[in-house]
Amino acid sequence: MNELLVKNAYVIDPINRINGEVMDIAIRDGRIVEDVGPKATVIDAGGCLTLPGGVDSHTHVCGTKVNFGRYMSPEDMRAGRVARRGVKHATSGYSVPTTYANSYRYAVMGYTTLLEGAMAPLEARHTHEEFSATPLQDMMANTLFDGNWGIMNAIRDGDQERVTEIVGWTLSAVKGFGIKLTNPGGTEAWGFGKNITCIKDEVPNFGVTPIEIILAMIRACETLRLPHSVHLHCNNLGNPGNYACTVGTFNQVPDLNEKRQTLYATHVQFHSYGGSDWKTFCSKAEPVAYTVNNRPQIVIDMGQVMFGKTTTMTADGPMEFNLYRLHHDKWSNHDVELETGSGIIPVYYRRKNLVNSVMWAIGLELALLVKNPWQCMLTTDNPNGAPFVKYPEIIALLMSKKYRDAEFATVHPETGSRVVLPALDRELDWNEIAVMTRAGQAKALGITGIGKGHLGLGAEADIAIYPIRVGEVDPAQEYRKVIDAFSRTKYTIKRGRPVTRDGEVLVHGENTTIWVDPKMGPGHDISQDTEFVKMFDRYYSVRMSNYPVQDEYLKRSLRMETEAVF
Amino acid sequence: MRITLSMRERKNPYIPVEAEKIVPSILMKGTDVTVYEGNKERRLADLFEITVEGEAASVDEVEVVLRGDTSRVKRVGEYMDGGRITVEGDIGMHCGNFMAAGTIEVRGNAAGWFARELRGGTVICRGNAGHYCASGYRGEKKGMRGGKVEVFGDAGDFAAEHLSGGEVVIHGDCGDMAGVEMRGGTLTIHGDCARPCGNMTAGTCTVLGTVLGMIPTFERTGEIVGPDGGTLTAFVGDIANRGKGKLFIRNFQYLE
Ligand SMILES: [Zn+2]
Repeated sequence: MNELLVKNAYVIDPINRINGEVMDIAIRDGRIVEDVGPKATVIDAGGCLTLPGGVDSHTHVCGTKVNFGRYMSPEDMRAGRVARRGVKHATSGYSVPTTYANSYRYAVMGYTTLLEGAMAPLEARHTHEEFSATPLQDMMANTLFDGNWGIMNAIRDGDQERVTEIVGWTLSAVKGFGIKLTNPGGTEAWGFGKNITCIKDEVPNFGVTPIEIILAMIRACETLRLPHSVHLHCNNLGNPGNYACTVGTFNQVPDLNEKRQTLYATHVQFHSYGGSDWKTFCSKAEPVAYTVNNRPQIVIDMGQVMFGKTTTMTADGPMEFNLYRLHHDKWSNHDVELETGSGIIPVYYRRKNLVNSVMWAIGLELALLVKNPWQCMLTTDNPNGAPFVKYPEIIALLMSKKYRDAEFATVHPETGSRVVLPALDRELDWNEIAVMTRAGQAKALGITGIGKGHLGLGAEADIAIYPIRVGEVDPAQEYRKVIDAFSRTKYTIKRGRPVTRDGEVLVHGENTTIWVDPKMGPGHDISQDTEFVKMFDRYYSVRMSNYPVQDEYLKRSLRMETEAVF
Repeated sequence: MRITLSMRERKNPYIPVEAEKIVPSILMKGTDVTVYEGNKERRLADLFEITVEGEAASVDEVEVVLRGDTSRVKRVGEYMDGGRITVEGDIGMHCGNFMAAGTIEVRGNAAGWFARELRGGTVICRGNAGHYCASGYRGEKKGMRGGKVEVFGDAGDFAAEHLSGGEVVIHGDCGDMAGVEMRGGTLTIHGDCARPCGNMTAGTCTVLGTVLGMIPTFERTGEIVGPDGGTLTAFVGDIANRGKGKLFIRNFQYLE
């Protein structure tokens, strides 16, 4: 029996409606309990801000794409080099660091659960292998279905049941968590040198449109009772005027789930652009936020851009090619047979650049204009907008108008005529930040039920204690203190065990991979379907029997079984 | 001030020594520093016999002399900002990287990455230099930015890769792909080389010998008189990457 008592914690736990109460938290065998015995180890939080462990509902830290970012950016490995010491592995890298560097840095910031934003099913093993080398966080993988041949054929044939069966089979075969659509249809079109501009364009060779894919996948997701909703990277990312496509997509989404959103739209900053070209480029955060405010079935994440060096990586192959043509730097492109693709390029977001300055403002505008913090998550689409180590600065920007004004004074002088940011006075409070960095993310992912994102009885004892006393600091004025506090916890506790203290990693750790196994009942096993097997044999370069990820790939596995209702 | 470091007999002379502290500005303050031999931290005096003669008011009055088998001693002169280093024999990899000022003279041969990412100062090798002499580093877009590198023997492959400023002179031959990705500076090769200057965008490369495997993406613009009085064919390129670099060659044979 392993007992721990956290005393004098100033707790903010939005899911349990606790907003700043000083209390003790009792932990036994990794779970939060009523009380513990006198022999329990005691940690004195000293009245410091104590939150559920951070949850990142969209980040890129593991898998083939991330690893290719590492291959092609050896210069990135010149930063962040730390020698092996104690329980720690050697680390290096900044925007595409080693898996251990990702894990340690997230842990030091109080993050205990991460969702890898895009896993190609065919290449799932690589993602799972890197999960097991990310020891201090529990991991989930959103599974890419944006250009899945079997699914697009079924949609064209009007066979929704088949769509659902393919999704269900694939998720459990590759041990994925949720459905990810990246530029639906676009990456498949890119395989033929084309792209999709919005939801009504037809995907070449398949006769389906992105909106048909999105809606069919939403229905499949709800039929399979998946914990998370469909997770969408809209079409036309990064292009001036794309906000219309984004709003148009949101307006088509029905409200089908009582417990959570029906659509999670990711890195919406990259999808809230006005203007008709780069010269007239401007923010359209207002209409996008307005749509979100009127549609509770939508949850978004910011995809905040922060100035500096980073690497962009996405399954959106054609978009990365456009970026390559803009920057003329290195570029990599990858096709995943029958499923999806990806592209990677390094970028440098500059304050002196008008487009980059506007992008920076848009992310913040979205977070400030979306009224309900449960509908807007704090992310950078790590590392696309910025490496996640910038989160503390983003938190401070959202909590302090003064800090935003100070930063705004340093960006491109024309930015003011393209954005509304300087007119926004809202300053988020501690509770709202807690929602946007853990509670809201856990709810959006549908993992509060397995004890994530809150500190109620029975919850996983994932806890972050930040070295800041809420009553003694005015975040609107003392934003430096906010940045420092969120950069380095006093303690990060994972599954009831302190894993970092004052920035030092204490244990090697062992992650749990959370995945979803939908039970579809007899007659719905697509792997027995002769047509499906025929397609597999004909087009895939692997055998169907070799496709599923074996249990050995997961060190600790948390299988969330769902019961499909056709 | 003259600091002489004589390599002691080593049990295994093949284990590399990471010697980024062998720099005049560090050693003038004292020679009680440590270096790594493989993964073991050692005092400098355990590896070298050290003698210090005279005094120095500034770094420019310091000369460090390396004696004995220093062919596995790496990163000598890293970030050097003045003074002089004389290597009497051969030197290991990464000698003079990031150096900003001063002079390094290697009387023997230099291993790979000699004077890579040089920013200023003068680096001379009397013998041959290895691959990536005066080059950039993995993944970086800018290589050497200033200063002068002179090799009296031959250089290996990728000499002056990513060169963006300063002057590189190779008196002997170069291997494959000299001056690729050049974006500034001047490269002069007195001997022969193969496939030079691919993807070059700016800068000047002169080859007084023969180019083998000349790549086809350079536009021939005429002839000039070379520094030795002979005629050179002038090219501009690499046009595959909209480059405006200058390439002057005595003899060449196109890539087949
Ligand atoms: Zn993403």
